[in-house]
Amino acid sequence: MLFSYLLMSGVTTGALYGLVALGFVVVNKATGVINFAQGEFFMFAGFIAWMLHVQLGIDYFLTFALAVAFGFMLGCLTDRIAYRPLDKTDVVSLVLATVGTAFVLKGLARLIWGGKADYLAFPPITSSDPIMLGNVMVIPQQLAVLAGTAAILVVFTLFFRLTRTGKMMQATADNARAAALVGIRTDRIYTLAFGIGAAIAAAAAVLTAPLTLLYPDIGFAFFLKGFAAAVLGGLNSLPGAVLGGLIVGIAESMAGGYIHSSVMELSPFVVIMVVLTLRPSGLFGSRMRRV
Amino acid sequence: MVAPFGRRNVLLALFAAASVLPAVANVYQLFIANLMLVYVLLAIGLNILVGYAGQLAFANAAMFGIGAYATGLLQVRLGCSFWLAFPAGALVAAAVGLAISLPALRLSGLYLALSTLAFAQATQWVFLHWESVTFGAGGFKTPPLSFAPLPIGKPLGLYYLSLALLVVLFQFAQNLVASRVGRAFVAVRDGEVAAQSLGVDLLRTKALAFGISGFYAGIAGGLYSAMLNFVAPEGFDLFQMVLQKSMIVVGGLGSITGSVLGAGLMIIVLEALRAFKGLQEIVFGVLLVGFVLFMRGGLVSVLKRHVRGWEEPLRLPQRAPPAAAPRALEAAAGGAEP
Amino acid sequence: MSTALLSIRDVHLAFGGLKVLDGLNLEVKAGEIRGLIGPNGAGKTTLLNVICGLNRPQRGDVRLNGVSIVGRKPSAIARLGLGRTFQTSQLFRGMTVLENMMLGLHRRTRTGLISAGCNGRRRRSEERAMEAAARNALSFVGMADLAERPATALSFGQQRVIEIARTLISDPSVVLLDEPAVGLSANRLSELDALLRKIRDQKGVTLILIEHVIRLVMGVCDQVTVLSSGSAIADGPPAAVRNDPAVIEAYLGRELSARYQAS
Repeated sequence: MLFSYLLMSGVTTGALYGLVALGFVVVNKATGVINFAQGEFFMFAGFIAWMLHVQLGIDYFLTFALAVAFGFMLGCLTDRIAYRPLDKTDVVSLVLATVGTAFVLKGLARLIWGGKADYLAFPPITSSDPIMLGNVMVIPQQLAVLAGTAAILVVFTLFFRLTRTGKMMQATADNARAAALVGIRTDRIYTLAFGIGAAIAAAAAVLTAPLTLLYPDIGFAFFLKGFAAAVLGGLNSLPGAVLGGLIVGIAESMAGGYIHSSVMELSPFVVIMVVLTLRPSGLFGSRMRRV
Repeated sequence: MVAPFGRRNVLLALFAAASVLPAVANVYQLFIANLMLVYVLLAIGLNILVGYAGQLAFANAAMFGIGAYATGLLQVRLGCSFWLAFPAGALVAAAVGLAISLPALRLSGLYLALSTLAFAQATQWVFLHWESVTFGAGGFKTPPLSFAPLPIGKPLGLYYLSLALLVVLFQFAQNLVASRVGRAFVAVRDGEVAAQSLGVDLLRTKALAFGISGFYAGIAGGLYSAMLNFVAPEGFDLFQMVLQKSMIVVGGLGSITGSVLGAGLMIIVLEALRAFKGLQEIVFGVLLVGFVLFMRGGLVSVLKRHVRGWEEPLRLPQRAPPAAAPRALEAAAGGAEP
Repeated sequence: MSTALLSIRDVHLAFGGLKVLDGLNLEVKAGEIRGLIGPNGAGKTTLLNVICGLNRPQRGDVRLNGVSIVGRKPSAIARLGLGRTFQTSQLFRGMTVLENMMLGLHRRTRTGLISAGCNGRRRRSEERAMEAAARNALSFVGMADLAERPATALSFGQQRVIEIARTLISDPSVVLLDEPAVGLSANRLSELDALLRKIRDQKGVTLILIEHVIRLVMGVCDQVTVLSSGSAIADGPPAAVRNDPAVIEAYLGRELSARYQAS
């Protein structure tokens, strides 16, 4: 009974980590960059959703759409400010610029919402009565998270494989210069990538919000877990990101249940260090661009 | 020819000011000044690693913590005197730095940043949860520090100890970066492959850079633990790391003097914003992004351009020169033949 | 073994499924200038990478002065006396020309952490010696007045020459040059030709150069090796190689070479 509970809980949080990881992979697939502000996009969108749904009483599904749109715009803005003006080979500047952006967002969130109470609660959307699936107890919101993750995964896999824009993004990631030479507007591709990555983070946040408390530092926590998932799955692989997320989520849940709850926080760090040291291309990553 | 605002003179002036400060400062101001000295040490070490050797590592705050914890725990758990625990703590931090340079060898850029970040978080976790050794979240007090037989109290004694150490370590760093070792760092930063082809051993060079930054951070940590007489997990977190990064970016990557200026200024900003944590995060974030975008070489690059006599050795990371002449030019010049 | 300074035996290297070096054999004698030519994709740069240790072959041996160097770290191989330049400029941008040159002496100097930091006697005397040697090396290539310039403030031609000087300053026994003439004007080309001869004559360094500028290769090389599809298809004095049918075919393809030879 404990096992199935832990498993379900692990799968749910794992799906969330997978979503955050998807955001990383989308950006990385197009730009070769890891956005250190990804966690803060998640956090900020969550707060916006709280403001829309709880404070202004807007319907949940509309909130979802608005938050995702907001996330998209935030991503585009970040690209304009912290990525486009920079020399793409100057990794130090690129990383520090997104780190700085992350902190600005975090500080803003703290100023705007953190004043009254540092932790904000989002009311449950679905009924909080658990359903029984077989002999596993599940809360409907958890199912919503899983469904949402699966949907986003499918949408983006198809996007990269079938649409022209998706292929342009892959081309840009492979060889930006060649892509530019054949007429691809690489600048626009980068902006789109950041925007989509942030939109995915926003979606993840709105799905998560009913299950957890919101606070300004939540961004960094999800950033690391999402990154652990992404790197485990291989930074080029969309399904790998989701699978990585599930693995991290389940491992975390099991470790927390069977060893000690404090070990839960440790797992993403260990995953990141171990994977990057031993097998930087992760489980499913294709030939890694120079790590 | 005397250059009134030359780099050497400015540094001497700062040193003079720092030496006489205790005569005019109150307890709080002295504490802040001591804090500045500690952060200058951190910034110098970090700049050697990030600015000179080009290793984008995010573990410095963790080394700072390791230095503080090691110094404190050796006193509290093993009963060592501060004068033994302090250098030992710095060496522990240096050793950890060396240790993480090994896996770091295969990683660069983003991945190095993230794995060192993960390491830093794991270290935080250990500080927080390994309660049997580290006393956990509440932290612990360290024994009071006495400078006997000298007739001076702790704040004053510690301040001058910090200042003396800073002068020595500043000069050491300055000498180092202008030497064969320093050039090897810059070579690794600017062209790893070419550096190897000239005989530079990547592992040794990177390990050295990590070890040195670990040592400087460890010294800073030991001093910090003595300043507070207290060691706890907060204070060595991500915000710390961003603070240190902004110091070296604002001051100037690839400049030891820049680290002095950057650290001093950032501490002033930090103190001015003491009451508003949210504002602190915004300000440092904006500074980081702003300087990275508009003043990549930091304050030192501005001083170098506008202040006569500011001899700053060329080490700041330069933008890539224009791309090499394409082959078409060669064909046009009649060089190529089938 | 023969008197070969550098000997490459049966080297095979594949990247994934792509075979780049396919049973390559090559021997270079001390003091010669060896040209390495061949169509694009023949494996020339990869061969240089294998020699200097940046790529490891799946099979085969590389010997420098009779000592096997396969599998060693690039910096260790460099310290045995092998130098190399690259297709794109690899001057260190954060340093001046003089400092770049002094870095070239890295393998021959010993100032370490403590001596450097404490400004000890060894450091000071080594720094003086390095600076003098660097200035000398710059004079050798006629660029002494550029010593204090930042490495980013050089013209393309100047960069290439200084990189060669940087490789030479530590007195290596073999230097690998990867397309030193790329992008050079006709004037610069003859300067490079003269420089290469000067290097060979005055310094006794063995040179192996990859080049596409055939005029340079024919003019300055003692011997030319032609690579195609990962192995050496011809090896001999420039004039002989130039007329070798196999070589012409490798460059022009079967049909065109038949036409060329018929004409």
